[in-house]
Amino acid sequence: MTAAGETGSLLEHLFRHQAGRMVAHLTRLLGPAHIDLAEETVQEAMLRALQIWPYEGAPENAGAWLFRVAHNAAIDAVRRNRLLSDKTDAIVHELSRSASAPEDNPDLEEQLRDDELRMIFMCCHPDISQESSVALSLKTVGGFSVREIARAFLAEDAAIAQRLVRAKSQIRERRLTLDMPPGAELKERLASVLDVIYFMFNEGYTAHAGQDLIRRDLCFEALRLGCLVAASSIASPVVHALVALMAFQESRLAARVNESGDLILFEDQDHGLWNRHLISLGFHHFDRSMAGDEVSEYHVQAAIAATYARAPDAHSVDWQMILALYDQFLAINPSPVVALNRAVVVGKVHGPKQALAAIAPLENNSKLRNYYLLPAVRGHLLLELERHSEAAASFSAALERPCSEPERRFLRRRLEACGRATILGQD
Amino acid sequence: MPQYMLLLHGDPTGWVKLSPEDMQKAIEKYMAWTKKPFTRDSKRLADEPGRVIRSQGGKPKATDGPYSETKEILAGYYTIEAASYDEAVKLALEHPQLEYGGTVEVRQVYGS
Repeated sequence: MTAAGETGSLLEHLFRHQAGRMVAHLTRLLGPAHIDLAEETVQEAMLRALQIWPYEGAPENAGAWLFRVAHNAAIDAVRRNRLLSDKTDAIVHELSRSASAPEDNPDLEEQLRDDELRMIFMCCHPDISQESSVALSLKTVGGFSVREIARAFLAEDAAIAQRLVRAKSQIRERRLTLDMPPGAELKERLASVLDVIYFMFNEGYTAHAGQDLIRRDLCFEALRLGCLVAASSIASPVVHALVALMAFQESRLAARVNESGDLILFEDQDHGLWNRHLISLGFHHFDRSMAGDEVSEYHVQAAIAATYARAPDAHSVDWQMILALYDQFLAINPSPVVALNRAVVVGKVHGPKQALAAIAPLENNSKLRNYYLLPAVRGHLLLELERHSEAAASFSAALERPCSEPERRFLRRRLEACGRATILGQD
Repeated sequence: MPQYMLLLHGDPTGWVKLSPEDMQKAIEKYMAWTKKPFTRDSKRLADEPGRVIRSQGGKPKATDGPYSETKEILAGYYTIEAASYDEAVKLALEHPQLEYGGTVEVRQVYGS
C-alpha cells in the first residue's frame, strides 16, 4: 500500500488520514467517553514510527504498521486504565481481534469508513456548537492538530483547545454514542453534518493572509468528508449537491490566487489552472443531486458553480442562466449577502447601472454594515461607469471594513486604478 | 573514502508537539537521508534500558544512564562518506536533526 520508494517519501497525508481513521476506529472500540485515550494511543504509534523509521526506513505497509502499533498501545492502556475495569477483558478482546485483522482486508476498509462516518455524525450532534463540531471533526476524523486548526481559523491555540475540551466533555456528560440516529432524527443530523462540512470548506476557501497551505487542506478535508458521506448508504441528493458545489469551487482554488497570494478575479483567471479532475468529480455528483424533487441551497449553488465550470472561457459564461439561478437562490435564502452576489450578476447581464440600482436597497442593511464587499462591489460598478472619484470613495470605505490581507491588497490596487484615471482627467 | 559518524542527540519529548502531518514530514526528511548517495549506514539505538557502567571505589556500578538528568539522548547514528572532515560537517549541516532542535556530533571513524 505504501511504497517508501527511493525518495523515502510516504503516501501523501498518510499520517493525517491514518490518525483520523484510527482515532475513529479506536473510539468505537473504547467508547466515546474515551476519545482522549484513542487520540493518545494513536499519537503513541506515530511517535514510535518517528523514533524508528528515520533510521530503519518505513515498513512495507506503513499504514497497517501504525494501525497495529496503535492497537497494541490501546491494549496496554486499557489494561492499565482502571476506568474501564469491568469491561477491560471484552475491550481487550475486541482490540486484539481488530489488531490481527489481515492487511488490506476489504471488510476492515469498510469498517473504518463506517467508523469515520459515525464519528462525524457524533461530532455534529446538535448539543455541540457548530464551531466546536468543526474543530472536533478536524481533530478526530481529520487528524489535524490543535495548532493546525487554530492556524486555519486564525484563532489562538488555547481557544481551540478549550473548544475541544468542552465538546469532549459534552460527549461524556450527555453520553453521546456512535450509533446513527434513527428515522427523522437522522435527516436532521445529516443536515447539520452537511452544514458543518460546508462551514469547514468555506473557512478554507476564504482568502486569508499569506499562502498558508493549511487552508487548502481544510477544503480538501471538507471535500473528503463530503465524499465519505456521499458514498455511504445514507447519501441523499442534497449530499451530492454539496459535494458537487465543493468540487467545482475547489477546482478553481489554484486559479483564484496568484503566487504572491493576491486574489484574481474570475474574468482574469487562467482556466488552464482549473483542476479538470475536480470538475468532473463535480459533474458526477451534480448529476446525482438531480434525483428527487428537493431543491436545497446547495443544489442552487452547485448549479451556479456548474455554469461557471461549463464556460469554455471567462467571456463565454452564461450570465443569464446564472442570474436565473440567483433569483432562485434568493427565493430560498433571502439574505442580503445573496442579494449582493445577485447584483453582481445583474451587472453582467444588464450593465452596471442596473446593478447599482439592485444594491441600493442593501446600503442601509445592518447585516452588511461591516461587510467590505458591499462598498467594494459598488466601487467596481462605479469604476465601470467611469465615475472615478465616487469609485475611489467606495474602495476607501471598503478598506475601512474588516477584510483579509489579500483582499486589502486587491482593494488598494482598485483604488490606485481610480487615482490613475483621475490624474488622466477621465473623471 | 573516509567515513564519519553523525551521532544524533536530541530530546525525544520535543516530537510530541508535532501534528501527524508534521511528523510525517519529519520522518520523510530523515528517511531521505538514509537514501543519500553518501550514506553508508543508519541505526537507531533503543532508549531503554540505557545504562552506564562506572567503576566506583574499584567496584563496577550501573546507573540509569547519563540522560536521566539532561533529557537529551543519543538516539542513533548515521555513517556517511566524505572527502574530508570539513566536507562531512558541510553535509551534516543539512541534516534534519538540526531543524528539529537536536544536535549532530560529527566524528571520523579512525583510520577510515
